Amino acid sequence: MPPVIEARDLTKRYGSVLAVDHASFAVEPGRIVGLIGPNGAGKTSILRAVLGLTRYEGDVRVLGRDPWRERAALMRDVSFIPDAAVLPGWLRIDRAVDFVAAIHPHFRRDRTRTMLAKTQIPLDRRVRELSKGMRTQVHLALAMGIDAKLLVLDEPTLGLDLLARRAFYDLLVEDFMDESRTIVLTTHQVEEVENLLTDVLFVHRGRIVLDGSIAALATRFVALSVEPARLAEARALGPFYERRTLGRSVLYYEGADRAALAPLGELQAPDVADLFVAKLSGGAS
Amino acid sequence: MTRFLWLIRRELWEHRAAWILPAAIGGLLVLAASFGHIDVDIAGARPGPNALGGALLFGFGIVFLCAMLVYSSWYLLDCLNADRRDRSILFWKSLPIGDAQTVLAKLATGLVAIPLIYFAAADVTTLAIAFIVSLRARAWIGSALWHPGQWLQLQALWLYLIATLSIWLLPVAGWLLLVSASVRRAAVLWSLLPPLVAVWIERVFLGTNWFGRILVTRLVDGYPATAFHDLSGSLLGAFGFPSESPLAAPASVWELLAPLRFLASPSTWAGAVVGAALIGAAIRVRARTVDP
Repeated sequence: MPPVIEARDLTKRYGSVLAVDHASFAVEPGRIVGLIGPNGAGKTSILRAVLGLTRYEGDVRVLGRDPWRERAALMRDVSFIPDAAVLPGWLRIDRAVDFVAAIHPHFRRDRTRTMLAKTQIPLDRRVRELSKGMRTQVHLALAMGIDAKLLVLDEPTLGLDLLARRAFYDLLVEDFMDESRTIVLTTHQVEEVENLLTDVLFVHRGRIVLDGSIAALATRFVALSVEPARLAEARALGPFYERRTLGRSVLYYEGADRAALAPLGELQAPDVADLFVAKLSGGAS
Repeated sequence: MTRFLWLIRRELWEHRAAWILPAAIGGLLVLAASFGHIDVDIAGARPGPNALGGALLFGFGIVFLCAMLVYSSWYLLDCLNADRRDRSILFWKSLPIGDAQTVLAKLATGLVAIPLIYFAAADVTTLAIAFIVSLRARAWIGSALWHPGQWLQLQALWLYLIATLSIWLLPVAGWLLLVSASVRRAAVLWSLLPPLVAVWIERVFLGTNWFGRILVTRLVDGYPATAFHDLSGSLLGAFGFPSESPLAAPASVWELLAPLRFLASPSTWAGAVVGAALIGAAIRVRARTVDP
């Protein structure tokens, strides 16, 4: 199957500011990809280019289409939730469902109605009368009603409390995800999504600094926890990042020989959050 | 086509004033007719019953027409701006609706849907008032309002106005949409300032007033001169007013309408071309903007 998203040398300038700098990446079908980076790294600019919301330089194909020229056609197969606050306040929930049902060729009203029925949200209310968490639930219910091949989420849980966040991600995995579908989401809170993701794309200062599946990362990267006595030997093997915890040091290696590292201390599989910090403060600078 | 109607429907959900305002005007007029003092003397002259009925029909029509022109302009200036301010543009753009479709639906709302709502409100109001007045005062006032010829004439006049004005005002609507799509705030100021500055610059540097005249023609005297036969006093004459004009008042509105002259006028189509260009520009700007 061809990739769902294919970007080559994607570049986005705002005046003299380079928001995205020759980013190249591909997203395969059936994956849950986290676009991860600090604030202002260029995540949202990448998503906007992918969704045809902004002009860009470079070559981008999404589901075989040129997103800038074919945004309306592309949106038949893509569902997009920017963040919690974009449903218009004047819109009544039942009318929102009616409208999307009338406009969208791949909308399944029953699915949205079922999801809304599980919530306590009265359908005759306007969006502005709902709490932030309820608005997100409504938007998610609308997006889930769309039989989309690609779901794009930009900081979807921004401003939500812990319970609402958990509910949001549970819903995402249970009700939306299957092998034929793909999710791309951005977040600057890695811990929250790392159990969900199959792939990560680290973005830093407009560049892709790391790209790979979680499984591949686990073989490519390794963390070594060492006693101070063996620190010098461990450092000699070329870690790209080092941090100190409770009298020990944790060193991060890329593509290192595990047999050589193992005698020096305790080998660990770094989690995404660790890698994120390591890669952005060590490897990418 | 149904998609397009849904888009217009969405506009009316968002801009509830589009129907609340004419309903309120109608309500106030009906209230005035129910409790106000009815003075049959108009400007000293005592017009015949036919004239009074005609004057009422015509006067209400003018009230609704003026309110409609002001509201429609406001709507066109706000419609591509409001969803950027509240960021809901990101929701609308996540649906399979092209930018051209969006902008054209808003144009149709401002030039056709809103005028039709005002027309309906004017009709309902006149009917209600005719009924009330005929109960309160003398039967002949009411019967004048029911004069079928006059009633029909008013319908024809409204529909003719909506049809021709929507073409005549295309450049104005296009300009308002372009401003609405482009600016972050102070849309009213932005809609007025550039044309005025352009007129001023032309006067100061070229000593001519070509652009100013074009604006005046488009906004003030060009339309009645193009879409109607001699209008001076005779439209009122058509509704039974004593006309001071030496020309004999035409027997009906039908004689005033000049659809062929309107359609044959280069001014009509030059305006339409400029309007199309401005609307095209508004669509392009709309495609590029996501942020307020």
